[in-house]
Amino acid sequence: MSTQHSRKANEFVKDTAVVDRHDATFWAVRSRRDTMAHEVPEWEDLREAASRIKKHTVTHLADYLEKFAANAGRNGVQVHWAKDADEYNAIVLEILRAHDVRKVVKSKSMLTEECGLNDSLIAHGIDVVETDLGERILQLLGVPPSHIVMPAIHITREQVLECFRAHGIIEKEGRKAADSMNGDLDKLVAEADPTFLTRCARYHLRDNFMTADCGMTGANFGIAATGEVVVCTNEGNADMSTSIPPLHIVSMGIEKLIPDYESMAVFQRLLARNGTGQPTTVYTSHFRRPRPGSEMHIILVDNGRSDILGNEDHWQTLKCMRCGACMNTCPVYRRSGGYSYSYFIPGPIGINLGMLRDSDKHYGNCSACSLCCSCDNVCPVKVDLSTQIYKWRQQLDSMHHADPMKKTMSEGMKVMFDHPGLYTAALRMAPLANHMPSWLTGIAMGPWCEAHDMPRFAKKSFHQLWKSGLDEK
Amino acid sequence: MSRLRGNVRETYDMPDLSFAKLVYPDRVGAFIKTATTAAGASVIEMQEGDDINELIRRAYPNAKTIASNVPGVKADLNPDDVAKPQDLDGTDVSVVAGSVGCAENACIWIPQTMKQRAVCFICEYLVIILDRDNIVSNMHEAYSRIEMPELGFGAFISGPSKTADIEQALVYGAQSFCGVTIILR
Repeated sequence: MSTQHSRKANEFVKDTAVVDRHDATFWAVRSRRDTMAHEVPEWEDLREAASRIKKHTVTHLADYLEKFAANAGRNGVQVHWAKDADEYNAIVLEILRAHDVRKVVKSKSMLTEECGLNDSLIAHGIDVVETDLGERILQLLGVPPSHIVMPAIHITREQVLECFRAHGIIEKEGRKAADSMNGDLDKLVAEADPTFLTRCARYHLRDNFMTADCGMTGANFGIAATGEVVVCTNEGNADMSTSIPPLHIVSMGIEKLIPDYESMAVFQRLLARNGTGQPTTVYTSHFRRPRPGSEMHIILVDNGRSDILGNEDHWQTLKCMRCGACMNTCPVYRRSGGYSYSYFIPGPIGINLGMLRDSDKHYGNCSACSLCCSCDNVCPVKVDLSTQIYKWRQQLDSMHHADPMKKTMSEGMKVMFDHPGLYTAALRMAPLANHMPSWLTGIAMGPWCEAHDMPRFAKKSFHQLWKSGLDEK
Repeated sequence: MSRLRGNVRETYDMPDLSFAKLVYPDRVGAFIKTATTAAGASVIEMQEGDDINELIRRAYPNAKTIASNVPGVKADLNPDDVAKPQDLDGTDVSVVAGSVGCAENACIWIPQTMKQRAVCFICEYLVIILDRDNIVSNMHEAYSRIEMPELGFGAFISGPSKTADIEQALVYGAQSFCGVTIILR
């Protein structure tokens, strides 16, 4: 009965304090999102516009890609095309080698995660430094992100302190960090103060920005009309990564394209409000040309996206702009955590993207949905997330992933409901179960019986009551 | 490309974007409110006869190194003249000019009008000079007004760099400047 997701979730829920904190954290983000949405009277117009702009763009993607690449080329940017993760990793490595790069500073990019770039670069002797604070913490801890926007939210301040200490960051930057806050070093360390820890990371990363040979960013949007990319951050790490080293590599999934500035305004207004409940990200940076004396490369990555476009039921996942709202609102995500999912993107969008990537590996995530449809209602580009999950579930049997116990029960129920005589007979017999010893009725029918007692059957069924005119109440 | 074209089942038109948008009767007032609350910036309204250098000095009395190429701003470092971007590290205050401000989210468009744009991010504190006449209500208006400079980079900036990556505690001063002062003239 249990799936890969439910087994891992079982581990996560053992510590109820952790679950409560996780749940409350993301519910707070969801609430902030609602406040933001209610402050904009045209919110629903924006969502509808965003959905339709994306539908338009992805169904004219080849034309827009050609336009984008031509414009970027005219701007002096070198454009590359990668059909899959291997090709993408090879292109990055080739550019880095041509520039004799030893250290890369990177701002957060889900695409590089999707393609396994960091491992590939490290295997080739290149030092990769994540510069988003959350990503850096995870990199130093050697664990993957558990959320696409707030990747390290499940880590405690004490764990961060311990990790920074183990990597010598407290020893090297602690004094400077404490002085910058006019604080007492010992006290700040004892409290694992978040501001102090952030400052330590600030100075630690500053050193890396100064000495890196290349800055890498993702792209939140690509604008076809101008050939530029837009990167949105709160920390300013994408801007630090790209304004100091002499080389900038942008990694962009082909579905990130939008037509023009007019469309960009719609997405800019939705992204941060919907994702983290802020009116905007602190930085919305537009990169059109390489800095004087430096190079800029854009790698356009397909890696399965053109196949998704041909998938009748799931092509609309290409509209997703990775704001994270569907996981923030998801009751299953909030209570089971990012690591319960087998795909690196958790939550409703991750269930769908994982199935599209490799259904044999990720079908267990399909159970992580109660079909409450909350995700559909918060998605800023109206991806039909829950409908798509429902459709995957209908296909599990033909994929030979249907659960045998559920299947037997479904077949049994079908026999019973197809034969009214059998159904009525079973109902008459049911109250007898009330008199059976509990060891017989309490047989654990898998997870449904956990924390549930066997219900008592009524003496008379609704059918019988109805027929006797409801007079025997 | 052929696979992309071949896999399209049905095409969709670009939607009409002329729906009514949020506008503020008092754009400057709304901008100041958003900038000083959600964005976490300070705002100085420049008065007739105010000296810009004095305002900057008063806002950051302890600043040792000021970097700017804005005409009329006294600076120790000029981002047009430094040999490499790393030379700007250690800047206490950078002073830059914004061309469009947006009331709904306190974003200010900073076009790259200096050789080393690192000056906009590497400092401890950022001062942005903005004309109050250039404040619009929403991002639709802002995007219709901004211009990309010759150097090919521009950013909307709304307040100091921030993070909540450690236990959701809001901290100003992540990788870039720790504070922002907007001078409205």
